[in-house]
Amino acid sequence: MDARKPSTEAPATALDVGLGMVALLVAMLVGYGWSLGFDLANAHNGLIAASFSAVGLYVVRMRPRHREGWLLVAVGVVHAVMFFGRQYGSTEPPLPGASWIGWIGVWPLPLAIALFGWTFMAFPQGDMLSPRWRRIGLAMYAVAALMAMTSALWPVDYARTGLVAPHPLDMPGSHVAAQVWGYLQPSYPLFQVLWTVAVVVRLRRARGDEARQMRWLVYAAVMAIVLLAMGLVVFGSPVPGLLALPLIPVAAGIAIQKFRLYDIDPVINKTLVIGSLVLVVTTGYVALVVGVGSLIPAGTGWLSLLATAVVAVAFEPLRRRAQILADRLVYGHRATPYEALSRLSAQLDEAPEELLNGIAATVANAVGATEVVVWVGEEARLLPQAGWPRPPEPSEPSRLGELDRGAHRHVRPVVHQGTVRGAITLRKPAGEAITPTEVRLLADLVAQTGLVIAQQQQAQELQAAARRIVTAQDAARRRIERDLHDGAQQRLVTTGLELGLLADQAQASGGPELAARVKEIRAQLLETTADLRELARGLHPMVLTQAGLDAALRMLADRSAIPVRLTVAIPGRLSREVEVTAYYIVSEALTNAARHSGADVVTVEVAKVVEGLRVGVSDDGCGGARQRDGSGLEGLADRVAAVGARLTIESPLGGGTRIRTVLPCA
Amino acid sequence: MRVIVADDAVLFREGMARILTEAGFEVTGQARNGAELIGFVRRDAPDVVITDLRMPPNFADEGIEAAAEIRSFAPNVGVMLLSQYVEVHHALRLMDEFDGAVGYLLKDRVSDLSAFAADVRRVAAGHVVIDQELVSRLVSRRRERDPLAELTDRERQVLALMAQGLTNAALSEELFVSVKTVEGYIRNVFTKLGLPPGEREHRRVLAVLQFLRQQ
Repeated sequence: MDARKPSTEAPATALDVGLGMVALLVAMLVGYGWSLGFDLANAHNGLIAASFSAVGLYVVRMRPRHREGWLLVAVGVVHAVMFFGRQYGSTEPPLPGASWIGWIGVWPLPLAIALFGWTFMAFPQGDMLSPRWRRIGLAMYAVAALMAMTSALWPVDYARTGLVAPHPLDMPGSHVAAQVWGYLQPSYPLFQVLWTVAVVVRLRRARGDEARQMRWLVYAAVMAIVLLAMGLVVFGSPVPGLLALPLIPVAAGIAIQKFRLYDIDPVINKTLVIGSLVLVVTTGYVALVVGVGSLIPAGTGWLSLLATAVVAVAFEPLRRRAQILADRLVYGHRATPYEALSRLSAQLDEAPEELLNGIAATVANAVGATEVVVWVGEEARLLPQAGWPRPPEPSEPSRLGELDRGAHRHVRPVVHQGTVRGAITLRKPAGEAITPTEVRLLADLVAQTGLVIAQQQQAQELQAAARRIVTAQDAARRRIERDLHDGAQQRLVTTGLELGLLADQAQASGGPELAARVKEIRAQLLETTADLRELARGLHPMVLTQAGLDAALRMLADRSAIPVRLTVAIPGRLSREVEVTAYYIVSEALTNAARHSGADVVTVEVAKVVEGLRVGVSDDGCGGARQRDGSGLEGLADRVAAVGARLTIESPLGGGTRIRTVLPCA
Repeated sequence: MRVIVADDAVLFREGMARILTEAGFEVTGQARNGAELIGFVRRDAPDVVITDLRMPPNFADEGIEAAAEIRSFAPNVGVMLLSQYVEVHHALRLMDEFDGAVGYLLKDRVSDLSAFAADVRRVAAGHVVIDQELVSRLVSRRRERDPLAELTDRERQVLALMAQGLTNAALSEELFVSVKTVEGYIRNVFTKLGLPPGEREHRRVLAVLQFLRQQ
């Protein structure tokens, strides 16, 4: 890691020279090592040295600040040194200085293993997952350092090496050292568990690019392990596994440099399918030929024929199963048709906007699409309404025929009762076609979508109708109030004025009885105008139109028969529709509370929040208010529904009444 | 005393002109809307304008808007606003924005000619007049913890009359007690309610109205 600093600050040429020298050093060590002969026990070091150095040097040449690149280089160099040391030290007859040079090939092993592991754990950026993982990695180094030191001072790790010269140091206490080594050596499998856990944790957490990079690495590592296992089992040789080792750095390099160019998922998918088929077919064939052959003494030719027939018959169903399994593993939780449909019906309860997004997600999940868009409208005017993984950008209306623009885009028109109601478009990963199963599933989902869209349109029409009714009703009330104000009320006031004049004249002309009579009529008239005033105010509160919701709610509080705790937090005026609805909610709730609840106090809270205007009225009365037929609360619920909101009424017996809603403000 | 009346209903306007003349006022103009009223005042400023609050073109609060403009160029003209409804927020605005010489009454009040004439004269003299319905609604407002419960009946009466804009002298006449006694009542009311003693009359009304509304 220390090499990184000077290199990033040095000019490019200096970096190139430095990298060239490292490459030359590794090439000399590995090349000279190979020339000394082939040693199966040491060959992996040479392969690691060559492949990791090559990939690492390529990465840092392109991206000098890439920490993972430098880690790869470090792994390569350390293994090159070890490879050379052991090759040199194992050569017969002993070469000059074989004791010391062979020693160099042995003792760094624990450190090399720790570095190898760290490189895995830090993939793809060269950083550990978290400070805690960093501490775990450092602990691993500490153990490795202790092991390396022991191995450097005493010949504790010499038995396996086949070095021709003895350990160069002859320190006392080799007995104790061997014991310590015996305790420390089980750390190796522990290290391996650590890397595996770190990689799995990162794989699970990773999203987007990082997830794709991780899949490259894990794919290569698993392939190498599988090849190693197969080689050992089938051929009894580690050579296939050894040859697969360079896969790992190459995959890492691809992931770091070109992960955007190739998507590994289809490769993993096909590998899993083919791998599992080969495994099953081979096992089946062997089981049949060997198993049946041992029971029935028949010609091997017949058995082979039988086995081939069985395998041939079983192949297609097996392939399908394997494909489903592979899909599951690679594309995450891709649903079976039943799962997809049941998930869709579970989403039917959700709000309309959410519902179409839910459909998009279900479709994506069901067929493993990378992008799904749900379009709604007529055949010639389709608008994107929902999408997965994200809602679509608003755009101009499109014709159905235009929707297949763009690569790998599949279009499914949504038809309900013979008319196009919308469409679903989806994109699959490059190189993946829609399978017959997916075609059927998609058809079912599209049919469901037709129902959903039709139902949604009906709901929208219904709401629009309710809104029109409420608006018309409000307009009528306003008009009647205005007519009263300019007509009847005005006339009555004028009549009162005339009566007042008449009373004064009667008084002046010496008719006190007549004057008293006129005054009495005037008093009756004033009562009438007062009644009319309240009636008109109830029809439509002018305060609301003139001064807004805040003033109108204060007026309601002034006139309430029960004390009101009023909190209003609204910035200026809102739309007439919202103001009127909020006003009637509070007005009706206060009236109800006064009539039925026996409450001591009513709390009214009206506030503008992100989702709209929050209106809440609660009292401490007897509760038990219900949306009875024809009651004020039912009318309120209808009114609130007309503006696209929902009225919540909680009124347990003896527990007060709480009426709440959030009115959407456009 | 010279007055101009403004109302969009011709019968009411002319009736009012007649009773005002009867009561000894000189009606120098009859306007149909706010703009016309402003024009009349510009030409020949009266002592008081009596205007409907809700007039063409929008039937909102044109009367107040016109009054505010009149006061900007003729600060000595008294303003009497009449309306079918009396609303607290209008009263608060009038007390806050107009420096006295302002009244706010239900239209019904014109049927008691002598009381109405007296109210118009009070406005002309620079005092304030607030409709008793509005005040009694606020005074009788239901409250969780009613601070008015601390007041005696007499103090409550004084509070209500004070909120209607009565001066100390008018209070003493209304209650048949001396001005000194009235001052004593008012001190008690203000102390009990924790209100700062207002110096100007309309400020005092504003403080009382605000207090009544908030509690």
